[in-house]
Amino acid sequence: MLRMPEPNPNTLARRKDIIAAMREIVPATGGVIVDEDQLRPYECDGLMAYRQLPMIVVLPENTGQVAAILKYCHTNKIRVVPRGAGTGLSGGALPMADAITISMMKFNRVLEIDWDNRAAVVQPGVTNLGITRAVEHKGFYYAPDPSSQIACSIGGNIAENSGGVHSLKYGLTTNNVLGLEMVTIEGEILRIGGKGLDQSGYDLLGIITGSEGLLGIVTEVTVRILRKPETARALLLGFNSSEAGGNCVAKIIADGIIPGGLEMMDAPAIKATEDFVHAGYPLDVEALLLVELDGPKVEVDYLIEKVGAIARDCGAVYSRISESEEERLLFWSGRKNAFPAIGRISPDYMCMDGTIPRARLAEVLTGMQVLSQRHGLRVANVFHAGDGNLHPLIMFDANQPGELERAEEFGADILKLCVEVGGVLSGEHGIGVEKRDLMPEMFTEDDMKHQERLKLAFDEDELLNPGKVFPTLHGCGELKTLHAREVANKFPDIPRF
Amino acid sequence: MTEVISPTTPEQLRDAIGWAVDAKKPLEVIGSGSKRAYGHAVAAYHVLDLSKLTGVLFYEPEELVLSVRAGTSLAEIQAILREKNQQFHFETGNFPALLADDVAQNAGTIGGLIATNLSGPRRIKVGAARDHLLGFEAVSGRGEDFKSGGRVMKNVTGFDLSKLMSGSFGTLGVMHTITMKVMPCDEKARTVLIACNDPERAGMAMNRAMGSENEVSAAAWVAVEDVARFGIDVASAMGTGLVALRVEGPAPSVAWRCEALRKLLAEFGASEELHTTNSATFWKAVADVAPYGGSSGMLWRVSGPPASGGVLAAKLAARTGGKVMMDWAGAQIWLRLDGSDVMAGTVRQIAQSESGQAVLVRAPADLRAEVPVFHPEDPALARINRKIRDNFDPVGILNPGRMHLNITEGGQV
Repeated sequence: MLRMPEPNPNTLARRKDIIAAMREIVPATGGVIVDEDQLRPYECDGLMAYRQLPMIVVLPENTGQVAAILKYCHTNKIRVVPRGAGTGLSGGALPMADAITISMMKFNRVLEIDWDNRAAVVQPGVTNLGITRAVEHKGFYYAPDPSSQIACSIGGNIAENSGGVHSLKYGLTTNNVLGLEMVTIEGEILRIGGKGLDQSGYDLLGIITGSEGLLGIVTEVTVRILRKPETARALLLGFNSSEAGGNCVAKIIADGIIPGGLEMMDAPAIKATEDFVHAGYPLDVEALLLVELDGPKVEVDYLIEKVGAIARDCGAVYSRISESEEERLLFWSGRKNAFPAIGRISPDYMCMDGTIPRARLAEVLTGMQVLSQRHGLRVANVFHAGDGNLHPLIMFDANQPGELERAEEFGADILKLCVEVGGVLSGEHGIGVEKRDLMPEMFTEDDMKHQERLKLAFDEDELLNPGKVFPTLHGCGELKTLHAREVANKFPDIPRF
Repeated sequence: MTEVISPTTPEQLRDAIGWAVDAKKPLEVIGSGSKRAYGHAVAAYHVLDLSKLTGVLFYEPEELVLSVRAGTSLAEIQAILREKNQQFHFETGNFPALLADDVAQNAGTIGGLIATNLSGPRRIKVGAARDHLLGFEAVSGRGEDFKSGGRVMKNVTGFDLSKLMSGSFGTLGVMHTITMKVMPCDEKARTVLIACNDPERAGMAMNRAMGSENEVSAAAWVAVEDVARFGIDVASAMGTGLVALRVEGPAPSVAWRCEALRKLLAEFGASEELHTTNSATFWKAVADVAPYGGSSGMLWRVSGPPASGGVLAAKLAARTGGKVMMDWAGAQIWLRLDGSDVMAGTVRQIAQSESGQAVLVRAPADLRAEVPVFHPEDPALARINRKIRDNFDPVGILNPGRMHLNITEGGQV
């Protein structure tokens, strides 16, 4: 069972005072939520297995209010849980009984589109797709496209360093952010980066992106926007084995082709999505590749031919090329609806998020089948094949006693398998609370202490999003202690000149 | 005089740093030492030399991944990549040749490259070195092993310390193992040249190109007297300053996009096209900042929003009397000063007036002892940076003073 830091009784005892202080800072109606019924929608994020009512929820409207709230929390040692749209899949916005949940969803304005610098300046509550909507009339878009893009906020994307189906070619959030305004727990407003490419000092932009709300609260985001490719076409390629499919992916990339999208599904995922959206997927193949090529028409047509030839060499038993935009979107509709499709055939499902070296795919899929039998639960796989990011969907029924626990164990075993073959626990969903206790599979105590030392530079009292990412929090004292060692003229073996 | 410590294994590296922590002996950390004149001088009797900690751990071209010991030379790595027709996509030039005369090609080590976060013309499309570092293993200034990242393309497991280490000049930890993303070389590359003497107008031309759907992978402006030093007849024959726009990809696409760019920018001036070899020569010269290489004259690197590049370049040239060259579609300007005045106040004031910043890349040692090499940090950010450094290197043994001149209480510079 998930263990979270014990609520601080002093904080709970002061709840009334805290509410009054928050109302003073955020006077707008509905700006401070205290009633249980209204707190209920905030009790979880996209990881619904874990729930906790927040102490209160505050919805600030401007940076000054965020700074005042955090300063108050810092002075009074009150814990804070930052929250965007609440679509996160790792429980990064899971509330705490003694913490203020700060919802950033009133920060919903696009502040500036700087066409000449190809940059958009937006508030963190703007949705991912909202950025593209704001710039598409001039033929631009924002590249990272997590599947929740219609709902997820750009602030949340920063927190999780979100990816998407186009990240192989266009990068993750971290490769597309130019600048941030962030408020520290002390209430200080930092401006990092801008519209240029360089910053002085350490790469704070790089470390804040993907820091899961542990370092500060982002109040403004500058991202680069790209010109939309002239055209895009997709191929559906079917194979008799995941080895053959994986081999085709390797050959495409080895040939110097980096497709805009390169997705793979296994037989259970193909069947579930085809039954759901009728995208015309073949039901007699073991692996289905969806390859999208984008760019000028002449380039796309040329590469479609090349990829088609590679697929034939790799033993593709099914091949279909989109001949219209409608058909391309139809190809995608299956992949994009994979999660709800699984939701139709199973009362509950759990989406995992490991990344592996691509060459180990077949081995990992086989291992997963063994685990599936051992845990007595079904699993379907969708896979960002180009960058090795797996999304196994474990099917279970939470109403059957013990099934949730079994699903969790199955999931943990899958992630351990990913790490074993040289992969990682999370490719794009983040650690949050979901994978927190698996961190030691990848990291030593010293590895994690160094990460925590970065946190310490921003939040010495560990008030920001406690209980997330790190399985155990080492106190400030322990982290700062320098371990005594055997002093000596010791390293006699090292060449010296 | 100095004493050089040259570990050959990660264990020896840990022992060496552990000793320095306990004995409170500052270390100057170097790879091959090729960029030692970049940044501030480190006052340390002991030099920690990583150039013996070498070797390729694995290279899997189909997985686009390469893992090496940090002291491995760039020349060796690039030769290995070339065999498989692959490259570091961020296209760093021969930076050490900006600091001294007669520097060998691909001087320096991979560790030094990451520690200084270098990147070349393709940065506008694919990012800097930091965007291609998948993971590392290091020993911190506490004498403890730590690692972050991994060998896979997509990874959000824990804080992204790879970004923290990139460009940290060895002040937080000493990396011994580095795992990089590598990319295939494009099938074809061509460059469109447009005659343009005026940097402001050049800035406008680059903006228009970058705002088009032609996926320009590099955009630079070179003044007429510098074009002559590129040694490319087609370019020299134009007899003007040049806006250069590179497109890369499959052959038919490259031809089509070159054509589209020439049409799009017709009003800016006459145009020419550089094919494979000339195009490669041209961008190698831009990446190396070849016209401003060597040891003579001072060199500033000014960076800001790309659309301000033309204005910035024009102002810098006019106010300092120096020579300018633009890269990164205007987001990076090289300014060479031939006099003895470093003009730090003027250069930084002009940079800041356009939300930019200025780094003094090359200057005599005595000047670098007086003028901050790196653009002064915002005080609030400087405090955070100081805390990070203190947490990773509490005794202050790793390259003390390399990034900052006279650090005082509170991290103020």
